[in-house]
Amino acid sequence: MSTNVQDIHEDHHHAPSGLMRWITTTNHKDIGSLYLWFSLLMFFIGGFMALIIRAELFEPGLQLVIPGFFNQMTTMHALIMIFGAVMPAFVGLANWQIPIMIGAPDMALPRLNNWSFWILPFAFTMLLSTLFFDSGGPAAGWTLYPPLSLQGGNSMPFVILSIHLLGISSILGAINVIATILNMRAPGMTLMKMPIFIWTWLITAFLLIAAMPVLAGAITMLLTDRFFGTSFFTASGGGDPVMFQHIFWFFGHPEVYILILPAFGIVSTIIPAFSRKKLFGYDSMVYATASIALLSFIVWAHHMFTVGMPLAGEIFFMLTTMLIAVPTGVKVFNWVATMWRGSMTFETPMLFALAFIILFTIGGFSGLMLAMTPADFQYHDTYFVVAHFHYVLVPGAVFAIIAAVYYWLPKWTGKMYSESLGKLHFWLTTVFVNVTFFPMHFVGLAGMPRRIPDYPVQFADFNAIASVGAFGFGLSQLLFVYILYNTLKKDVTAEDKVWDGAEGLEWTLSSPPPYHSFEKAPRVE
Amino acid sequence: MSNYKKTYITVSFIVVFMFFFSYMLVPLYDIFCEITGLNGKTNQERIVNLDEKPTNRFVTIKFTSTVAGAGPFDFEPLEREMVVEVGKVYTTSYILTNQSNSLKQVTASPSVVPGAEAEYFKKIECFCFTQQEINGLETKELPLQFIIDDKLSSDTKTLILSYTMFNTTDQLGVK
Amino acid sequence: MKKIIYLLALILPTQILADWEVNMPRGVTPTSEIAYDIHMLMFWITVVIGILVFGVMVYSIIYHRKSVGYQPAKFHESTRVEIVWTVIPFLILVVCAIPATKALIMMEDTSDAGITLKVTGYQWMWEYEYLEDGVNFFSKIDNKSNNARRLNSGKDVNDVEHYLRNVDNEVVLPTDTKVRLLLTASDVIHAWWVPELGGKKDAIPGYVNEMWINIKEPGVYRGACAELCGKDHGFMPIVVRAVPKLEYDKWVSLRKDNRVAESQNIGR
Repeated sequence: MSTNVQDIHEDHHHAPSGLMRWITTTNHKDIGSLYLWFSLLMFFIGGFMALIIRAELFEPGLQLVIPGFFNQMTTMHALIMIFGAVMPAFVGLANWQIPIMIGAPDMALPRLNNWSFWILPFAFTMLLSTLFFDSGGPAAGWTLYPPLSLQGGNSMPFVILSIHLLGISSILGAINVIATILNMRAPGMTLMKMPIFIWTWLITAFLLIAAMPVLAGAITMLLTDRFFGTSFFTASGGGDPVMFQHIFWFFGHPEVYILILPAFGIVSTIIPAFSRKKLFGYDSMVYATASIALLSFIVWAHHMFTVGMPLAGEIFFMLTTMLIAVPTGVKVFNWVATMWRGSMTFETPMLFALAFIILFTIGGFSGLMLAMTPADFQYHDTYFVVAHFHYVLVPGAVFAIIAAVYYWLPKWTGKMYSESLGKLHFWLTTVFVNVTFFPMHFVGLAGMPRRIPDYPVQFADFNAIASVGAFGFGLSQLLFVYILYNTLKKDVTAEDKVWDGAEGLEWTLSSPPPYHSFEKAPRVE
Repeated sequence: MSNYKKTYITVSFIVVFMFFFSYMLVPLYDIFCEITGLNGKTNQERIVNLDEKPTNRFVTIKFTSTVAGAGPFDFEPLEREMVVEVGKVYTTSYILTNQSNSLKQVTASPSVVPGAEAEYFKKIECFCFTQQEINGLETKELPLQFIIDDKLSSDTKTLILSYTMFNTTDQLGVK
Repeated sequence: MKKIIYLLALILPTQILADWEVNMPRGVTPTSEIAYDIHMLMFWITVVIGILVFGVMVYSIIYHRKSVGYQPAKFHESTRVEIVWTVIPFLILVVCAIPATKALIMMEDTSDAGITLKVTGYQWMWEYEYLEDGVNFFSKIDNKSNNARRLNSGKDVNDVEHYLRNVDNEVVLPTDTKVRLLLTASDVIHAWWVPELGGKKDAIPGYVNEMWINIKEPGVYRGACAELCGKDHGFMPIVVRAVPKLEYDKWVSLRKDNRVAESQNIGR
């Protein structure tokens, strides 16, 4: 997206040209663009894996792949989508937006910023290369539960090393975000005057630095169990495989919110802009985000109700999990209240944000159902869970990212995307996302376990529908790539203030913004 | 610049702390298990200060066994069921046969159901305390001496003791 | 309107329940029934909340738009409203939590079981051991399904009866008897799940988990392993045949007689 931005400014910044320019860049916009392009690439690789999965599941019986490879696909799809697509996309948005939203010239740690991006291609090359090993890639699910993950082939140490690298990259990125937000805000911008996207990212960054090291610890223990004779997770040495699940989900649940809090921030930015009305309940939005983040550390075991917990534990984790519905509900109500008696228009970013609210809420509803332990004994590890987390991650996180790209693309490039193509992209995406994931609720409730390459014939109809939806969804995203291409080859025409209802410092800059965003800090009243 | 420094130091501290915290979760988890009986983990220590306090309360103990992995063993309890008096010491044993031709090291891992009562199943002598060796084609009787603590909840009428026998021959890191 | 379609989609499941298998089975045990009741309670609560929230949203989208000339209001906070929509959801949750907690207490009470069935998960089959009767056997996917499921098997799986849902040796259990299930595994974590008999529980190597079922109606109930356990995770079905107590006793004595022969035939 910023190739052209760069062209305009290249002459008066004596940066190296060509590939070296991108490898050595310390500019927040360049790095933001790198993150976003990388994320798009990963989105397609992970999506391709999803289509292999859905193609195999189109009808009962095995037609395309053997079960072992199917498991590698489900495992890789998750790792790529979480660590390769959604998280880097959010970091890319943070890189682009934080400096221009808080009135800073760049990020606080530009060289570290360069590092945290360039770790990613190496990590993912290593991760993906395991698919070409004789023993294949990781096949124990992205949750890497032992003892199954300890049975894996030679890929295991490579997978663990690449997850370590991803963790380091995220932690460095998070440190940069925290340092920038805490120290580089324009004079007058107190914490409670920060744009809500900045707030959600600040909280996300704290979640990252608290959660990622725990994942690092857990997978290090896996590694030493396999190769250095420890027995953290093997019963024969006095360890306990269930302990891995506890440690993993102690990371894993905050991770879930890492994937959604920035999306909340994006939606909270877009809804007011196109409702031409201030965000309703800014303060309560901030408190709700913070309480969701805090609660995320005491709910982890709801991912593992079936491991056989003591009754008190089951009740505790059920209640804390239900409690999360309260701040999440506040957020949804606030969005609706923001729209209420606004003056709405429905450009592409707004459409994606509206679909986010409805579909994320549906995902939240199934989440609330999953929180009820007695019913979870039935839901657990079925397609109902698959439907739930795809509803919160695809029309949740991914829709928010797409909305953000449409919303800020004219600012980043100075070029306006085609509104009619954008709307077409929205409708195709939204229809197919529901065709794909809604039937999964049904087969899950009817008894289809997740992570199976083949299924009894009674689940055939809904699986066929879901597979058709998945291919439709995948193909619709090619339109997104075309829209981006089509936009970038235009001439610079976008106004500085692209959306008439938008607020914030980024709209005071030119479109595209200057190389160093705010050479002189603006004053915030 | 000191503000930046403060931020970096605080943040780095959190990162390092959380990494070690993940390791701290290991002993914390064990304590948690002991308190709640999660997973039916029994205490693996020998009971030394033993005082028999017969209570005239009787519970049924069921014994069961599992062979882990493709271990070449036959592993069965000598008695499937015992009715025991709470607070009195009993002795029983498991029979282990090595069906292969070579010497094997084995480790048994105990688990008690219901998990919440696991801590009251106290072992005085158990083959599960240490790694055992068994010669090829040998059959061995593995003794177990235990007492049911009188703190056992009065609702409990049945306890189930399960051992899983792991083949730990040439395996790293087994005590 | 698109949003209305979403709402319909939410309500739809119960309406077409009968022919399409879109809902959780009510099942034949006290635990499955209570899971179903709580599932439906939560479902309807979310439907009502969904209709209210999305209703307001749709209304706003239709009437508060710039194209109909609506002028934006200026309000952007109200502590009173915020408190209301923090407290009301909280109260709704309290209402849900009470039956759920009661259900949990009931579900976790495994005492006074009539018989004890030990279930051991293997890659990729189950072993069943009737602790009181000393009967034990392995149970794995039946040959018809197993042949048809291979890649390029050339067989139409639609022609296989109970494709992926049939086993060589069924578990037989008495009806109207509290059965305590002990779950463990030999290699990796598995999970034993028959939807109509209630929830699932993990079978963890080295540890024993427990759950209980009390089947009210005779019949054949089918399930599967629910925890990823390697390449053939999708191919380790469970079949439980529930029969009246007398018939069960007959089956046990028959099994005991054939025990030696059986163990030779079925052993791994």
